[in-house]
Amino acid sequence: MFPWGPPEPSIRNGKNGRAGQGLGFPPPGRGALNLTMVEIKGFLETSFIEWPGRICAVLFLPHCNFRCPYCHNHPLIFYPEEFVSIALEDVLGRLQSFEGWIDGVCITGGEPTLHPDLSNLIHQLKARGFPVKLDTNGSNPDIIERLLEERTIDVISMDVKAPLDPFSYRKAVGSPVDFHRILRSIEIIKRGKVEYQFRMTVVPTLHGMEEIQTLAKQLRVGPRFILQNFNPENPLDESLRRIHPYDPAFLKEIEHQIQAIG
Amino acid sequence: MSNVIGIKEERKNLKVGDSTLRQEFETTDMALFVRTSEESMNDWNRQRIVDALIRETYIDAGTAKEIAKEVEDLIFSSKIKMITAPLIRELVNTKLIERGLEQARKMHTRLGMPLYDVDQLILHPNKENANVPHGPEATNLTLAERIKKEYALLSVFSQETADAHMRGDIHLHDLGFVDRPYCSGQSLEYIKRFGLSLPNSIAMAKPAKHPEVLLAHMVKFAAALQSNFAGAIGWDSVNLFFAPYLVGMSDRDLEQLAQMMIFEFSQQAVARGGQAIFTDLNLYWEVPKHFENVPAIGPGGVTTGKNYSDYLRESQRFAWALFNVYLDGDGSGRPFFFPKPLVHITEKFFQTPGHFDFLHHICEVASEKGNTYFVLDRGETAKISECCRLSFKLEQSDLEDAKEPWKMRYCALQNVTLNLPRIAYLAKGEDTRLFAHLTEFIEIAVKAHLEKKAFIEKLLSIGERGPLALLAMNRDGSPYLRMHRVSYLIGMVGLNEMVQIHTGQEMHQSKQAFKFGLKVIAHMKLLVDKMSERYGMHFVLEQTPAESTAYRFAKLDLRYHSPQSGHIVKGDLSKGEVYYTNSTYLNNSAVLNPIERVRQEGLFHPLIEAGALTHIWLGEAKPSKTSLANFVIKTFRQTQNDQIAFSPEFTTCNACNRTSRGLRSICSYCGSKEVDGITRITGYFTKLSSWNKGKLGELRNRYRNQAYLQTKEGDTVLMAG
Repeated sequence: MFPWGPPEPSIRNGKNGRAGQGLGFPPPGRGALNLTMVEIKGFLETSFIEWPGRICAVLFLPHCNFRCPYCHNHPLIFYPEEFVSIALEDVLGRLQSFEGWIDGVCITGGEPTLHPDLSNLIHQLKARGFPVKLDTNGSNPDIIERLLEERTIDVISMDVKAPLDPFSYRKAVGSPVDFHRILRSIEIIKRGKVEYQFRMTVVPTLHGMEEIQTLAKQLRVGPRFILQNFNPENPLDESLRRIHPYDPAFLKEIEHQIQAIG
Repeated sequence: MSNVIGIKEERKNLKVGDSTLRQEFETTDMALFVRTSEESMNDWNRQRIVDALIRETYIDAGTAKEIAKEVEDLIFSSKIKMITAPLIRELVNTKLIERGLEQARKMHTRLGMPLYDVDQLILHPNKENANVPHGPEATNLTLAERIKKEYALLSVFSQETADAHMRGDIHLHDLGFVDRPYCSGQSLEYIKRFGLSLPNSIAMAKPAKHPEVLLAHMVKFAAALQSNFAGAIGWDSVNLFFAPYLVGMSDRDLEQLAQMMIFEFSQQAVARGGQAIFTDLNLYWEVPKHFENVPAIGPGGVTTGKNYSDYLRESQRFAWALFNVYLDGDGSGRPFFFPKPLVHITEKFFQTPGHFDFLHHICEVASEKGNTYFVLDRGETAKISECCRLSFKLEQSDLEDAKEPWKMRYCALQNVTLNLPRIAYLAKGEDTRLFAHLTEFIEIAVKAHLEKKAFIEKLLSIGERGPLALLAMNRDGSPYLRMHRVSYLIGMVGLNEMVQIHTGQEMHQSKQAFKFGLKVIAHMKLLVDKMSERYGMHFVLEQTPAESTAYRFAKLDLRYHSPQSGHIVKGDLSKGEVYYTNSTYLNNSAVLNPIERVRQEGLFHPLIEAGALTHIWLGEAKPSKTSLANFVIKTFRQTQNDQIAFSPEFTTCNACNRTSRGLRSICSYCGSKEVDGITRITGYFTKLSSWNKGKLGELRNRYRNQAYLQTKEGDTVLMAG
């Protein structure tokens, strides 16, 4: 009845431009930093969702080594070169103009740990006083270990895709995966050097009650295991569009149950 | 009565004899005698035309007779088979025009509607106000409104004012309710102290002894007020004033009472035109400073011997319980549309124990259902809020009243909105002209207020036997409506477009453009202050909710200021979904994060005394309650913003009766296409199916704080959070 999309037309015609041009904020200083690094493809200046309790900015990095059928950011992993990159100095300039408001930056993707200069990016953010949260799929335990041991980041959130057995995981991830690296990442994160959580996106056809409970029992992290509902709007695997997500209240109830498993 | 059926009915009376006939027409409208030509021409009496002309206009008897004769000749010679009273009247009018009797013609006007329009109205819903459902009661309301609107424009307002409205220079709000004031705010103390004793009511109720009875009085009084005011009915410090009745009540009973209150006010179809009462509940976590040492009125309308500061606990428990109810939503999980809860965040709020938990509680409601309004009262100001965003600052005299809180009743008599883009078209880029036209428009608005004031005063002068008996009711030494304390609102629509026309940039596009916007509003503020001084009346600026005005102005400017306006109005021209940006808002589609919105829009708020609000459109995202609380605190501390509200979107299914997040074309539970969207239109939540085209255009454009990727060609792909 109503094709309410997001406000694409008005953004698309370029009338409004990037927010950075608005409201007379001075353009961020140029040239001062040597910032040849990670390409930032998406920049949400303010999120009330990504980091509970905080107002945080979100950076989206391209590329991913997984092909989860329910991924809804797939343009970022399939053809990132088609999108404009945002210079880090512009990001930092914008962040600076919200001093006193933004209390953290969340780095997500894609898969951030695929970028060799991720730690440089984190360093630049930390140097300006922003706490950093990292989202990862756990496929690069070495990088994760270094970031955690040095306490470079403040919070880590790892996406867990299925019960911890190679077959289930392979199926949920949609690509070959070195399962031992996943297990190692979980082990490293659970050492608790920094605050952490494990997040599972629940898709009715892939994950039943049993799978969720199995994973919860394998992780044994209590309330640090959280569930996120699948969004059928634009998944990587188009056949999933027809799948109805679980009732949010039902999912909340399951989450409540599994969080009791410590 | 002027249709064929009515005519045949009357014919029976006519045959009884001349005396019956005379009585019949004296008790109804003289002009109603109508008949089929064949038989009733015998009864034709042209003297009736003469009588009507002499009674209704100032023309002389000779001219009246002449006209009657001419009309009679015309009717006889035309050999038409049937004639209706309205037709005769219009024939008489043509004779008045032929003689250049313009004034007499106006006085002799008949108000009414074409058959086709009535047919449409009965069959199709009203889109001017999304709070009016569609049904026989609603149709009655609309029919009455149409006639009263015509009456207002012909008879209450001067030609100059009426023309300015018709042209779309200004908008006179709620013309269909011309014989009532605009909106009002009250204190529960009035009914607690005096009971419910309404003029024209056959039973008088003594002050309530039980909380449920107090609630019943409150709802009935609100309904009575709704029939005497055009718009919102606000209630001050509801949780506090209920508190003396709640001592010793169990959590369960308290929650039950909270549920009763919200359901009583939210369920439609009982009040005027089937319209839910537009109700605001002002709530406080603390005991507001001005009520601390006020003796509390308790059951039976007697003081309890304690002050309100002694009822903090009950007051807080009740506020908490109300938000529990909001959190659950209605029977199918939808947000309650009314009553709207407005929580005042003050310095004292932060000094009151438990405020953090309460803030999280109301932020959870904001995230889940969107109901909560955060009213930010900084420093020593205290406000009570009404309507979509109207709020009244409590001034010194009010703080005196606060010692006897039943006296605290407020009213805005009328709202007149200026079409700011129109001013910019007329100014043709010249500052001097722009400000001169702005002054001119404000002068017209003031004139409109003077005219409405005179009219309402006329109605009130008849006192408790007149049409506004409720407002004239005198229980405490002054009438319920205290005319010397009322405000007169001057609103604005399309500041953003005005600035765009005048400077070439929208307000979010450059610092200069934004500053120009501020300058305009500062000038308006200066002007209304001057007008207040000159007339001894309280004129204040308001952010008009402009549910339909933003659409109406855009349409009229497309007509009068094309082609320029075609590049300016927002929305989709091809679908006719056009609008101007409401009041002083920044473009709804601009990619501005919530921090920028509250910060920048907030700069206007100190200038807009009658209240202002920033919307944060959430879309389907469900934010963390603690992050929202964080944001509310920072907005309080670091901006001048007066009020904020977060607006999520929902889809409710008419087939399975469940409600899900986001606006979708099919139900995500059962797959049915019988769904309706729900979100905030201006100041309240409602179903999308009732929205006018302009607001639908705005909805499509709203930027909902989503992340996106930009392709090298400039296209946009939205990201999921």
